[in-house]
Amino acid sequence: MVKNITIFTTNTCAYCGMVKKWLGAKGYSYEEVNLDQNPDRQAEALKISGALTVPVTVVTRHDNSQEVIVGFNLSRLAPAVN
Amino acid sequence: MPDSIEQKHQVIMIGAGPTSLTAAIYTTREDIETLLFERGAIGGLAAVTDWIDNYPGFPDGISGLDLSAALHKQAERFGAVIELGEVSKISDEGEYRHLETTSGDMYAKAVLIATGSDYKKIGVPGEQDYYARGVHYCATCDGAFYRDKRLVVVGGGNSAVQEAMFLTKFASHIDILVRGPAFRASDILQHELEEKHNDKVTVHFNTSTDEIIGQDNKVVKVVGTDKTTGQKVEFPTDGVFVFVGLMPNTQFLKDSAIELDDVGLIKTNLGLETTMKGVFAAGDVRSGATMQIASAAGEGATAALRIREFLEGRTSPVMK
Repeated sequence: MVKNITIFTTNTCAYCGMVKKWLGAKGYSYEEVNLDQNPDRQAEALKISGALTVPVTVVTRHDNSQEVIVGFNLSRLAPAVN
Repeated sequence: MPDSIEQKHQVIMIGAGPTSLTAAIYTTREDIETLLFERGAIGGLAAVTDWIDNYPGFPDGISGLDLSAALHKQAERFGAVIELGEVSKISDEGEYRHLETTSGDMYAKAVLIATGSDYKKIGVPGEQDYYARGVHYCATCDGAFYRDKRLVVVGGGNSAVQEAMFLTKFASHIDILVRGPAFRASDILQHELEEKHNDKVTVHFNTSTDEIIGQDNKVVKVVGTDKTTGQKVEFPTDGVFVFVGLMPNTQFLKDSAIELDDVGLIKTNLGLETTMKGVFAAGDVRSGATMQIASAAGEGATAALRIREFLEGRTSPVMK
């Protein structure tokens, strides 16, 4: 079961919008961290994902296990939230 | 043949870029039920393009994201449905085309393939190793990670110049490596680069990109060759953005009856119909396409009219 979802985004990232659209359509709420508005959190996104890219989606389950999905990757995102 | 009505559609469009979104505006306005499948960004490559100055109707230009959002909204206004998922196979089953998708088996009387293209890779050592960790293909997605950093942009076409200009918002300096002796980008983009970004950008013509080198898990330099002297040249950098042309998204058609040309683009006749009955192709994925957003939209409109004729059992004059 999903406890919470955090998405690291930027203003100009089209794939970030796709992740938000897909999660919204499935009825999941999420916290968005916009790195253009919060550049100080870039290092956090990099540390979590190991990648210099967005979107980074962090799915935290009730047992506090986490899954990190880089990009708009439905084959990983769908099982992570189900 | 499908039992479930949810699996049967009049038209399925694969891809939801400017071509399909335009086609869907036309089909749905005529009450032709239309489902679109998109595996990436709605708007396709246009959605990840920073700024578009040559799409008609926008005298001051428009961001790729805003244009895509407007096309999306317009298509949905008339009833187009966009499903986020992927099509892996198409076959002809008589009255219907059978599509294997991430949402299960789907059937459509007519199909439009408008999967567009993705940016090509250079194919040099280090490119794959540092993918998304210093090597990138989407400036609007990843540029923000390079505030006050040095960058290399590889390529000499419109995308390379346009995206390099976008990256100057973040980077302290950009080296553009162009394999040929001149840009292939339009004169207006070249002029803008020189006029507005000269202080941050250095262009290196006749320069190949041979290797991307990293250290401590970070990209540190690009090694190339100055083709006029044959000498190796090095460009210290924190990241590399690659825009060296387009690769058609047709891998899923490899074993199908839909014929591709030598570079993997879909062959069609003048009516935009492929070698599979009832399957049409348009936009950047079609052999002979001009790879422009305006022409992609135009081809989408044409494809929609051909699809309507096909559904009505009429043959267009160009098909006779």
